[in-house]
Amino acid sequence: MLDQLLQLVFNGLVTGSIFAIGAIGASLVWGVLRIGNFAHGDYMALGAFTTFTANVLLGLPLVVSALLGVAATSLFAVLAHQLVLKPMRGRGLTSVFIVTVGLAFVIRNTLFLVFGSGARRFDIDQAEVYVVGPIRMSPGQAITIVCALIAIGLVGWLLSSTNIGRSMRAVAENSDLAAVTGVDTDGLATITWLITGALAGLAGICLGLVQGTFDASFGAYTLFLIFTAVVLGGIGSAYGALGGGLALGLVMEVSTWDGFAGGLDPRYKLILAFIALILMLLVRPEGLFGKARIV
Amino acid sequence: MLEFWLFVLATAGIYTIFSLGLLVQFGIAGLPNFGNGAFMAISAYAMAISVVNGLPMWAAAPVGIGAAVLFGLLLAIPTVRLRSDYLAVATIAAGEIVRYLALNLQELTGGAAGTVNLLGPGIAADYNSSWLRFQSGVRGLISNLVGQRVPSDVAFIAILWPVALLLLAAVWYMVRSPWGRTLRAIREDETAVAALGKDVFAYKLQAFSVGAALAGVAGLFFAWQVSSFSPDDFRPTLTFYAFVIVILGGKTNVWAVPVGAVLFAGIFAGTRFLDFWPLSVFASGDRAYLRLVLVGLGLIVLVIWRPQGIFGNRREDALET
Amino acid sequence: MIAPDLALHATGIAAGYGDARILHGVDIKVIQGTIVTIMGPNGSGKSTLLKTIVGLVRHLAGTTLIRGRDGQPVDITRSKPYGLAALGLSYVPQTANVFADMSVLENLQLGGLPLGGGGALFQQRLATVLELFPVVSGRLASRAGTLSGGQRQMLAMARALITDPVLLLLDEPSAGVQPDFVDQIFSKIREFSQLGLSVLIVEQKARQSLAFSDYAYVLEMGRNRFEGTGRELLHDPAIIDLYLGAGRKPAATRTEAQDVRILP
Repeated sequence: MLDQLLQLVFNGLVTGSIFAIGAIGASLVWGVLRIGNFAHGDYMALGAFTTFTANVLLGLPLVVSALLGVAATSLFAVLAHQLVLKPMRGRGLTSVFIVTVGLAFVIRNTLFLVFGSGARRFDIDQAEVYVVGPIRMSPGQAITIVCALIAIGLVGWLLSSTNIGRSMRAVAENSDLAAVTGVDTDGLATITWLITGALAGLAGICLGLVQGTFDASFGAYTLFLIFTAVVLGGIGSAYGALGGGLALGLVMEVSTWDGFAGGLDPRYKLILAFIALILMLLVRPEGLFGKARIV
Repeated sequence: MLEFWLFVLATAGIYTIFSLGLLVQFGIAGLPNFGNGAFMAISAYAMAISVVNGLPMWAAAPVGIGAAVLFGLLLAIPTVRLRSDYLAVATIAAGEIVRYLALNLQELTGGAAGTVNLLGPGIAADYNSSWLRFQSGVRGLISNLVGQRVPSDVAFIAILWPVALLLLAAVWYMVRSPWGRTLRAIREDETAVAALGKDVFAYKLQAFSVGAALAGVAGLFFAWQVSSFSPDDFRPTLTFYAFVIVILGGKTNVWAVPVGAVLFAGIFAGTRFLDFWPLSVFASGDRAYLRLVLVGLGLIVLVIWRPQGIFGNRREDALET
Repeated sequence: MIAPDLALHATGIAAGYGDARILHGVDIKVIQGTIVTIMGPNGSGKSTLLKTIVGLVRHLAGTTLIRGRDGQPVDITRSKPYGLAALGLSYVPQTANVFADMSVLENLQLGGLPLGGGGALFQQRLATVLELFPVVSGRLASRAGTLSGGQRQMLAMARALITDPVLLLLDEPSAGVQPDFVDQIFSKIREFSQLGLSVLIVEQKARQSLAFSDYAYVLEMGRNRFEGTGRELLHDPAIIDLYLGAGRKPAATRTEAQDVRILP
């Protein structure tokens, strides 16, 4: 039973890392640019499908393909920002939300149009299993753990020790003050999308690897979990999104452990996430780790 | 061709009722509910489950609407006080949860296979026969009236649209009533209305429930139109279509809703005419995705360049929040 | 055109939020190296004027010119807020004027962005500013949110001064600050002005600010109402009656948005 728990903790950390990578970007654009991005899940799918194109259709190695996928998603995010979201500046949250819904439609259905509705997979041996102590992991899970460590390390460094990161945190806290202090808010918006797009693409690739198969709507189905992780961590807090994602992944997996009165029926894992979301919004909208702030 | 227009009108009627609900919630009260499709689903399922368990259709219909309103209140009580972006996230999550539950509670809903499995696999469940009897009665009446046998869709439309227009008139009246004016004032400046001693929370709950009830009615007609439905008929995109319709007409224009709905249903159903080059390179099944790409593009263009909608001109119709 | 001795010249400024127009054509001049105060009842548009000058609120009409760091006139009517610090204009808002979730040092590093990163120039300016504000230098690693009201004001001013501006806009530097700190802040401002800095300051503590200003404007309902040297206004019977009246405090609320009429 302990082995089962360890395995669940591991699985939870893997899915949690994916939520975290996705949520960090979603939280950044929400906090820094005031954009709740409904297309975020579709950015993830875009990352997975561009990688799929390079990896399976063009036969490139997975690592090279993944880098291409991350870069493509990142560029797409910047492009969408310039064409669609920048003209929306100064408009309300709901209007921007609705524009991103339109964006989500365009991306998802273009992917369906190009790649069809069948399930796709990367060129990787899904049957292989690595055994480390009591834990069994798939190659996809192993890659995800490595990618998550690198991505989270890079983002952490960027936020804490660079002018770009400081500027982002400053804008997230008080965008007017940041502007009069000299933060180039226009340039920062582009950089924020560049990072967010890259992270979303990476999250999509990892999710595709861990799930094994995916179609064009698999990112959209994850969106509400990503948002839950964002809210858990406090909107706009990148560190919070990291913690929120990991916590959500862990809770969802570990809740099925037999040790909890036989464990929660796995079918209800998502309900658990939903309850967590509503509770957080009601009780601590500033996030699990946030300081209460009067706005 | 007639068949095409009948389909468009039937779809548009259901969308009219559904979108009226969103107009009350979002356009008038300023509550962006991205999970309104869930109320449609709950009503449809509650009605179908009641019928297969022996309730007569006319008794099951109010059960469906009641279930939608009950769930609406359940969702609204904790969430309508939230900031608009939080509310949007909470409602989209609620919608997904309902769909997810319907997929997984197979004993109750028949699961992914749809309502045909309501009584368990192997028994073809049927919630629709009394409706079809009623509809064919109406069809007979109309056929006698016009002197020739009309398609059954005509009967469906002849029942649906009077209901839709009645509800439209009711919403039109509500929006102009002191109740509607108070809701609009809440949307503009909540604290000012609260300062006048009005119970803002109660008003928001009422607006949310009205929207849920209208979604419930739409859900009933949707269920009656088809003979089996499944949770995937209620994807989040359903609610997004209603947003398109409401925004298309200008978000507070009640009369523009049916126009927007017909236009939308026309464009939606009309994509089968998109078979010219270069679109003809796509397989006809894939061309369905093309219309969704177009819907997405249309939504983006509309919100960026014409936030007051196609028919709206007043500032109030503009999407600013 | 901006006259040769002016640091700031705003003419016919109109601005507002949404449908609510706050300013209806305000004219303000700041002579180089002087301290100019803007006074007026709540809702008269004082803070909005500063926000319009720095580009946080859009000019609906009017022109704002400043004399940049190199002495050249610059039209900043359509400028983005973030470009102004590099031109030599710094602004300290009234409330929420530090990044509370970030450290004191990080606040200063952000202020130094227009200097082009954390190079030698920044280190040199940082040392200068920390010397000016010893209160701040002891708390570099603290989260800015843990500072007292007066310390925050000092930090906000330190951040604004790190770029070595030629024109400083201050929105009620005495707000939320303990009385003994207020004197300190005012004397600091005087000190900077003697070094050649031009200061435009919005202040509720009318008597105190008039006493140390070279010139002052009184706004009312978004229009110019009185102006004169600090000494003139201090002794003007109309001003005394309306704003400095015996024991009369400025209206209790500090919200700019509502139009509180003090005059009959």
